[in-house]
Amino acid sequence: MGFIDYYKILGVDKKASTDEIKKAYRKLARKYHPDLNPNDKEANKKFQQLNEANAVLSDPEKRKKYDKYGKDWERGEEYEQYKQSQQKQRASSAGGGQGFSGGDFEGSAFSDFFESMFGGAGFGGTSDFGGQRRGGGNVKFKGQDFNSEVNLTLDEAYTTHKRTFTINGKNVRITIPAGIADGQTIKLPGYGGEGVNGGPKGDLYITFSVSNTPQFKRVGDDLYANKQIDLYKAVLGGDIMMDTMSGKIKLKVSSGTQSGTKVRLKGKGFPIYKKEGKFGDLYVTYDIKIPTNLNSKEKELFTELAELSN
Amino acid sequence: METQEYISIETICRQHQVTDTFIMSLNEYDLIKVTVVNEVKCIPQRELGELERYLRLHHDLEVNTEAIDVINHLIQRIKSMQYEMDLLKKRLQLYEPED
Repeated sequence: MGFIDYYKILGVDKKASTDEIKKAYRKLARKYHPDLNPNDKEANKKFQQLNEANAVLSDPEKRKKYDKYGKDWERGEEYEQYKQSQQKQRASSAGGGQGFSGGDFEGSAFSDFFESMFGGAGFGGTSDFGGQRRGGGNVKFKGQDFNSEVNLTLDEAYTTHKRTFTINGKNVRITIPAGIADGQTIKLPGYGGEGVNGGPKGDLYITFSVSNTPQFKRVGDDLYANKQIDLYKAVLGGDIMMDTMSGKIKLKVSSGTQSGTKVRLKGKGFPIYKKEGKFGDLYVTYDIKIPTNLNSKEKELFTELAELSN
Repeated sequence: METQEYISIETICRQHQVTDTFIMSLNEYDLIKVTVVNEVKCIPQRELGELERYLRLHHDLEVNTEAIDVINHLIQRIKSMQYEMDLLKKRLQLYEPED
């Protein structure tokens, strides 16, 4: 983990007073609080950094350590303990011991060191972000909520189907209802983190990302598609076959259809979420294909037509 | 028949270290719905998430109930505008596809 400049995060000087730090934290917390910035991952991350910075800098003891050891501040106390134990070893082995090596210290793994160092409260600071407020040891708290993103193709979102996810090593099988929207979030209660002191488990929030296809574009429950028709069909009218998400259908093209004409196919759009048997509409825009590479006979006939129309 | 689970205000106050006055003030602003079940003041469990959000705003940002009410309205408006914006972006993509 790289060094984090907590002063920079809070935008305060290294000589800032506790009041100035508190004021800076409050100001920025109001700006980046996750409840004020729903679905904003950047704000969420920023708020966590603010909490961390505030937890360290608003506590004189932690701040002293941070200022003293800089980027190694979290390991400062271990460093002191290590140094003391090395000094004792040196004294007991009458000069035969090995001197302190910074390399050895750097190689040590101190996971959860912060919590053990500061009493297991973690980066709570004055905030209870995540619903785990600091407090009495026997108070029950709901576990952490998890967020996950799932990508679906338009075809997958079109039908109700089951899907299995692995969340924290646990298989979760869910039914995704047809018509789920792009950006829609569903909540799975109890699939989040473990509760604290026997509290309930957190929830799992799954956000779906549904991508369009080159053939169909979805807007709400409606679908949009383009259909190329030849000039003769556009001029004279007739039947064409059109692909929809539920299969091919026959479409009647009126004579004299212009390029860009839009027709609505009622009920041929996307399924409406949790409304069985109900569908949006399909809007088809006609794109008329002008013939190219005409042979002499065709040219002759078009010329004749042109002369007739004049 | 659908069953409804409730959680007592007393439990919430104890766990979140908050006074019941604050919870009742949220009720007055219709931010939560306090009901009395067997002479115990409760809220429906499904409203707990919302209540916890209000408590976070209150504790983290030191805002009062009136401000929470205002924030709530503004967030709803932002969400609704966000939804509308996403919809319009998609419509726009029909005419100006992204490369």
